[in-house]
Amino acid sequence: MARSINGAVLPDAPDLARMRIERHARLQAQMAAAGVDALLLLGTNPVAYATGAETPGADSGRAGLMRPVALVGAGDTQAHLFTSYPEGAPADLAEDHLHPALYPELPDGAALAADALAGLVPAGARLAVDELPHPLAAALGYYETTGASGVLGPARLVKTADELACIRGAQRINESAMARVQPRLRPGVRQNDLSAWFLEAIFDLGATGNGIDPIWQVMPDCRGDGPWTTHGDVAFPTASFDRILRAGEVIWVDTGIDWHGYASDFGRTWLVDPLAPPSARQAAQFRRWDEVMAAVLSILKPGVTALELGRAAIDANGGTRPWIEHFYLAHGVGTESAEMPMIGTDLGDAFDDRMVMQPGMVLVLEPVIWDEGAGGYRSEDIFAVTDDGWVALSDHPYDPYGERSW
Amino acid sequence: MVITAGPGAAALPEGGRVDFARLRRERRARLLEAMGEAGLDALVLGRPANITYASGARQLWTAGARPFGPGAVVMAGSGEVHLLSTWDDGVPEEISHDHLFGLSWNPGRIAANLAAIPGMASAARIGTDGWSPGAGSLITSVAAGAEVVDAGPALAAARGTKTGDELACLRTAAAAAEAGMTALVEALRPGVTERQLMGVRAAAMARLGLPTPPMEAAACVLGSGDEAAGGGHAGAGGGAGGTPVRLRRLVSDRAAGAGDMVALTAGALYAGYEATLSRTWLVGPEAGSAGSASAGQREMAARARALCDERVAACRPGPVSGRLGPHEWAGSEPVAWGVGLGMEPPLLGAGLGAGTVLAAGMTLVVQAWAEGGPGGAGGALEADAVLVGAEGPERLTRFASCPALRPN
Repeated sequence: MARSINGAVLPDAPDLARMRIERHARLQAQMAAAGVDALLLLGTNPVAYATGAETPGADSGRAGLMRPVALVGAGDTQAHLFTSYPEGAPADLAEDHLHPALYPELPDGAALAADALAGLVPAGARLAVDELPHPLAAALGYYETTGASGVLGPARLVKTADELACIRGAQRINESAMARVQPRLRPGVRQNDLSAWFLEAIFDLGATGNGIDPIWQVMPDCRGDGPWTTHGDVAFPTASFDRILRAGEVIWVDTGIDWHGYASDFGRTWLVDPLAPPSARQAAQFRRWDEVMAAVLSILKPGVTALELGRAAIDANGGTRPWIEHFYLAHGVGTESAEMPMIGTDLGDAFDDRMVMQPGMVLVLEPVIWDEGAGGYRSEDIFAVTDDGWVALSDHPYDPYGERSW
Repeated sequence: MVITAGPGAAALPEGGRVDFARLRRERRARLLEAMGEAGLDALVLGRPANITYASGARQLWTAGARPFGPGAVVMAGSGEVHLLSTWDDGVPEEISHDHLFGLSWNPGRIAANLAAIPGMASAARIGTDGWSPGAGSLITSVAAGAEVVDAGPALAAARGTKTGDELACLRTAAAAAEAGMTALVEALRPGVTERQLMGVRAAAMARLGLPTPPMEAAACVLGSGDEAAGGGHAGAGGGAGGTPVRLRRLVSDRAAGAGDMVALTAGALYAGYEATLSRTWLVGPEAGSAGSASAGQREMAARARALCDERVAACRPGPVSGRLGPHEWAGSEPVAWGVGLGMEPPLLGAGLGAGTVLAAGMTLVVQAWAEGGPGGAGGALEADAVLVGAEGPERLTRFASCPALRPN
């Protein structure tokens, strides 16, 4: 199978400078198509996409108040970056595009931000914004603003080969960390012990950030034994704490880290007790999961629709939808941990029918095989659509359940 | 209930260390009062800290600023809280199942969920804690004709001063942050990298049952003060020939060397409440060995500590001035910020916060950055969490300064 993506070979290591240039070109093309004079970005991940700047991971409160800001002018060669963390700016960012931090969440900060932007964007310009905190909206009254999703969405939907290498690099760190954590799992270990081992490992292995508090959710045998849900389906993912894990318990593991602005997504089902192998029903759950994956992958290539992929998964699961009501069979991953394309959400069949796979799209396939009375199996693997098929960006065993067939 | 057992994360048989039911009740009362004063019929909240404040729900920690979308809705008329949660795990008992709305990717369904909240369709004035063109059309589609305004002032009024139970949470967070500092100091040795220290600190928090620390800036190797410390963007790092280093928040793979000064930062979240402190430490010749500082290093560290102490002392009720004023800087950062459910307004210094009036019961993190002295590189960072008390400031973080860097 050819591994090219729009003619480019998936490199072993990303060329970050080339990646920034190619992303910038995509943003410029979408801005031109949308008739936007400038793109003002405040979201953590959109700024990372537009500038390539790295920012220390932070909880949402700090990340909001101390947010880096990007301004992309139509026709400009680079994005302007306003940041408290210039050490994270790419080395090739021109000095006149690197600016002190703005504080658009605060009334006085927003006034200063408007002054800074006024020097770069003429009054009356058509400005696309992803977020517009009230103070900044008040201070920017003289621009015509529109949403940035029409620019960001199409630009980010299809990845460059270097972006795919970043996702694979993030996933390798995540997987290597899990290879250190899983052997330590046994009855008496607490969820937060697993988190401690995981977090220490990811930074030792070179992660640039942690994206989500690690999830080690104990799954019930029956839906009704788990938390109440609005739809009656399984609750997942729920936050970890100091729950002591016990023999006989099954945990669904879900973690995500950051590497050069790209997210990993690791999902596996583990058994707490290393001395007890999977039961016959548990083993059958895994085989069914593997069959669903194989069915989807057998038709995954450019031109197939999300709807067709979802139906292949349902057929392989005997007509039952193999994913949780509030989620999906698959989601994309990139600078966001979950982004388009998505398959099987409540956006509906018509949406999925319009979502046609293209080379460079990424799918995190995460079928859930629920076996009422005996819990369920869930694992995630990441694939990129290539010019004539797919390539896996994840590679991790399924212990103690068995081996994949595809 | 008073705290009888000191800080800790575990519940106690007699009722625990913090009365969380009262904590939630008092927060909700403050929020409703602030809504009343601001004339808000409804509050639509998207920021996790505000959702925590309004609902008390135990949320999953995720990194980064989240795009605005309705996560919790507070109705002034009923005083009730409606929460985006597909399940009741982590949801306080006072929020009943019929007040939960599930996760959706479909804007039409999200609008329908909002529209189903009693009183929403007829709300005349709605406050939100964020805004985007998409979210704007969502809200106007649900409450046609409603005036949508900034909820920031109402939220600041409610969240600014802390209740007794909130302070108990902050004190627990302070103790946990000090545990993170202990872990950093114990791991500091020649050869350890900034990134490894970040992992050590995150692991220390997880072992206490706490989530990922509120900021990943665990360590910045500042050099010995006798040479330049660089790295990163040309405009960001230290130059050669005695140019002062710049405080880097983004950790790198730079390893600490014997005789280096390292800025260590430890923060912790307990029940959503944050405390953070920074100390500058000298790397000894080997693990567990204090090493011996030069006079220049001790001078820098003393200057940072004294400046930080001045800022702690300025945390008194009344208008901010002097060391907390808008013309003060800590490197390129503000010199102080509000802290509660994470970082919150006000931000002071770096051109911000003129006219801010501190009130007893507010909590701040104050920091001080001392650049290298004449002819020397290096620098020193100190930071503490502080309670603005009616009788004067109370430092919530108690961790000592590096003994090897104290003045002779």
